[in-house]
Amino acid sequence: MLSALLVLLGFFAGMLGALPGIGGGVLLTPILALHFGIPIRQAIGTSLVAVITTSAASSSVHLQRHTTDIRLGMTLELATAFGAAVTAYLVGYFNRNVLEGLFAAFLLYSSIIILMRGGKVKSHEPPTTDTNGETVIPHYEPKRYPLGLAASLVAGGLSGLLGIGGGPIKVPVMFIFMNVPLMVATATSNFMIGVTAAASAIVYYRRGDILVELAAPLAVGVFLGSLLGARLAPRVKTKYVVYLLVGIMLYLAGHLIVHLMQGGSA
Amino acid sequence: MSEVREPAFDRIVALVLRVGAFSCFFIMLAGLMIGLFLHGNISKEIERAGVLLMLATPVVRVAVAGVLFLREKDWKYGAISFGVLAILLLGAVFGIGEH
Repeated sequence: MLSALLVLLGFFAGMLGALPGIGGGVLLTPILALHFGIPIRQAIGTSLVAVITTSAASSSVHLQRHTTDIRLGMTLELATAFGAAVTAYLVGYFNRNVLEGLFAAFLLYSSIIILMRGGKVKSHEPPTTDTNGETVIPHYEPKRYPLGLAASLVAGGLSGLLGIGGGPIKVPVMFIFMNVPLMVATATSNFMIGVTAAASAIVYYRRGDILVELAAPLAVGVFLGSLLGARLAPRVKTKYVVYLLVGIMLYLAGHLIVHLMQGGSA
Repeated sequence: MSEVREPAFDRIVALVLRVGAFSCFFIMLAGLMIGLFLHGNISKEIERAGVLLMLATPVVRVAVAGVLFLREKDWKYGAISFGVLAILLLGAVFGIGEH
């Protein structure tokens, strides 16, 4: 029955993640580690498989709406994939407490980013459609590539270290500093996450840190959840999803911090 | 987008991701179902095949995009794509790592 529970967990994480375009990985690693008693490194590796699944499923939807900047994504992937492969290789040198502390910090940071963005995606930038019903994106030219590449290196590094997608770093950087419309930044970040997570997941797999019997039910659930989430996204009131997501993230951050203060490990 | 919009390009890349994700989903689901009825390693090996295909999907996506860029004679982005591909494949070769 563990499998059924994991399918369900994946489904909710995938759907919650796809609605605001954050990706569910940020929920999965801590839940696997804290509530399923999986050693942190295996929790990371297993969560990475689900992260790739979310990215593939939701980004195929974004691509068909033509909101993904493949050129920009591919360029930044040079940095994210490199960062992810390096930290996936080095993760063995970080002890569990450092990883949990980093994760708690990332959850708090992501909560702030998500709250600041709120449900603004739509009100801020109403996606105009032309006569064919295709989404029209205002013309833009990505700027400040060196800054974008540096931020992508950090996002990739964290992805390989924590088993997450790193959207909360990439989206604001593309939107605020690189002059990319928010809609495109979100779709492009989603697109990049699959390759970023694969770069580290390959290393984790080779080391035996992906638990296949957990990854499969989780990925099945995540696939269904994120497909549904991506389709619902334009219709659902994102505000409530955001509050729910942030609530869970703050709970997980608190749980990690309490665990660390009690002496960590175990 | 940053240059010209190419709907066909988007559609082909989307197709790669979709085929990968859907096949993985059905393979893993089959593994889970078999695991309900049969004990032993068969279900786990099927699930493993699904996981490996999932890991391979982004790699294939990068390679396909690279070829599409080269066909458009977009050498810069073709080279970038194959750079990303090289990083992914290096991880597979050197990614054994100790503990």
